[in-house]
Amino acid sequence: MNTISSRTTAPGMHTLRPHLHLDRLGSVIAGLMGLALFASPFVTYRANRIVSGEGRMLFDALPPAGALITIAVVLGVALCAVLAHRPLVRLAAASLGLCVIFPAVGFSAGFVTPAGNGFARVSPAIGFWLLALAFALLAADALTRLRLGPWGRLVALSIAAGALTLLLLSGAWGDLSLMKEYANRADSFWREARQHLWLAFGSMLAACLVGLPLGLASHRVPALRAALLQGLSIVQTIPSIALFGILIAPLGFLAANVPLAAALGIRGIGAAPAFIALFLYSLLPVVANTMAGLCQVPADVIEAARGMGMSRRQRLVQIELPLALPVILAGIRIVLVQNLGLATIAALIGGGGFGTFVFQGIGQTAIDLVLLGAIPTVALSFAAAIILDAVIDLTRRGAHDRD
Amino acid sequence: MIEIEHLSKRFGESIVVDDVSFTVGEGEIAVVVGTSGAGKSTLLRMINRLVVPDAGRVLIDGQDTATIPEDELRHRIGYVIQGYGLFPHRTVAENIATVPRLLGWDRRRIAARVEELLDLFQLDPGEFAQKFPHQLSGGQQQRVGVARALAAKPALLLMDEPFGALDPVIRGKAQDDLLAIQRRLGTTIVLVTHDMNEAFHLGSRIAVMDQARLVQYAKPADLLTHPAEAFVEQLVGTAERPFRLLSLASVQDAMEPGSAEGDPITVSATLREALAQLIWRGRSALPVADAAGAPIGRISVDGILKHGRSLA
Ligand SMILES: Nc1ncnc2c1ncn2[C@@H]1O[C@H](COP(=O)(O)OP(=O)(O)OP(=O)(O)O)[C@@H](O)[C@H]1O
Ligand SMILES: [Mg+2]
Repeated sequence: MNTISSRTTAPGMHTLRPHLHLDRLGSVIAGLMGLALFASPFVTYRANRIVSGEGRMLFDALPPAGALITIAVVLGVALCAVLAHRPLVRLAAASLGLCVIFPAVGFSAGFVTPAGNGFARVSPAIGFWLLALAFALLAADALTRLRLGPWGRLVALSIAAGALTLLLLSGAWGDLSLMKEYANRADSFWREARQHLWLAFGSMLAACLVGLPLGLASHRVPALRAALLQGLSIVQTIPSIALFGILIAPLGFLAANVPLAAALGIRGIGAAPAFIALFLYSLLPVVANTMAGLCQVPADVIEAARGMGMSRRQRLVQIELPLALPVILAGIRIVLVQNLGLATIAALIGGGGFGTFVFQGIGQTAIDLVLLGAIPTVALSFAAAIILDAVIDLTRRGAHDRD
Repeated sequence: MIEIEHLSKRFGESIVVDDVSFTVGEGEIAVVVGTSGAGKSTLLRMINRLVVPDAGRVLIDGQDTATIPEDELRHRIGYVIQGYGLFPHRTVAENIATVPRLLGWDRRRIAARVEELLDLFQLDPGEFAQKFPHQLSGGQQQRVGVARALAAKPALLLMDEPFGALDPVIRGKAQDDLLAIQRRLGTTIVLVTHDMNEAFHLGSRIAVMDQARLVQYAKPADLLTHPAEAFVEQLVGTAERPFRLLSLASVQDAMEPGSAEGDPITVSATLREALAQLIWRGRSALPVADAAGAPIGRISVDGILKHGRSLA
């Protein structure tokens, strides 16, 4: 320790060598890029969609000029990651990297697939994913250092979403296995997407409609509080598959014996038990956060409101709810992100959603089909989290951490 | 004028306010003092019916408050508490506008009123109107709290330890400001405090409470010279008594004809301040000047002591 510090503070050293500050996270990211470029296959080639494939390194996956450009860009970004300090520069570098490798992998698919071969499949391999991860990490780190406000984060998200849409619409990815899977089932993809969103958002909305009044009631009536929270916590501990199973019996009974239920499409399996299970899981965060939000409204604020002659209703609407809103929204954020993920399981009992592709893909050992279900799910959760975090920040009017 | 008649309140087993009666005249400041848990806050909160009395009634200008709808009653009574309870999600202007908005005043009238109050409390509207409470110092928050309570021009202001959270210097200034504003507006005030100096400085009358009872309700000087119980004497502090009396009298009361050497003392100063000057400057007498600075007589140590003995 001593020798090191005396060496770095030795007066001669500074004048001999320009002082370079190496960015620690940037160095790890650069290492990741090197690993991806030179030690991992960029794409996987398979003769048809279910046989196991062989990896192609970047040089074999692109024409020489394309490969050189890609390598040059990646190395440039790696250099920025290690040396650049300004977050904006780092963000620009990461974005440039993403803008190069995403089209490149699509282009590579066309390049690797033999002309006229309709069965061959090309999908991104570990090298591509590592590069994407490295750029994404760099971008995320730069965005954190930029300390964007809520609006800034929303704009950044829109730009990313816009770029992705553009990429997909341009057809640059058309030759990739993932997009071939999509092309084969475009209709069902959008049907399941609607179903997925309906399951996730519908159950969240229902949980809000029931949970907000419940949270309010248990805030006002302490006797209700313990019982309600305990009951909901128990529901939360039941694994999702088990909960779906538990619901099959009573719903099946309902469908068999109540004509109206059957007419509404309620059956033991399908969307109904999935919807109800998601709804039940959503109740605890909504109720608990509504309660917590209302409880943390300072007592002297309520006393002052009462003393100035605000009615119960005015107090609730003008004071308690606005002050509780960030906490309530945090609960809704938990619910939404959780539901977007959990809705995948619904496919197991015939409830539809993106899970359909995931489980079909697992059954057929077609990894690209799994990804067709998994990637939109992850993207939706990610976007929902960013959007709700921004909204929560926007509702913290006059809070201490905002100036 | 508010008349408090035989107010009582019990919480469960314990009686918290026991048959309390007193009257506060128009434009007076009644200060309620007493030990912690004596029931001061409960008494105050029964006046605006945040606590509903078990027995007794409160009349405001002859009208029984029980006959006025609760919210309407509270719109007419200003209320300031120790932590002020400013709404953290509303700006200073919005906080002050609370009651006028509840009363449905039109926007221009509200804006004018907010500006007027900010000026009155020496808060520059341009700088403070759009700030949030957490951006203010304690003293500024306190002023906003009082401004908010006065927004709809209430005839009565209830204050529960309104200066309790301020440091001594700011507290003294806030008390003087409140007195000045109260004199200007003629507001009747009932104020709860733990601080006896504050009570003697502000009170037209002081109500002493002990264990739910009203022990004595009297003018400050009477409280000193004729304490009703040993508890009052103890609360006031026997060693402090002569000095409190002197601080209630002005130089005018003990002024003698003639003249003396030195910088003059103004005739409106208290005898306590005059005595302090005499001791500090090592003189037995000083000249007295009127507000314009013209000499009108003299004040001496002997004269002050004689006056003090006559008060006791
Ligand atoms: N809502 C309530 N429920 C039960 N007991 C109460 C309630 N409010 C006050 N008390 C009790 O009544 C007694 C008097 O309380 P109060 O707040 O009026 O005292 P205080 O004189 O204002 O005291 P402090 O100087 O400490 O503020 C205390 O013992 C208190 O615990
Ligand atoms: Mg109190």
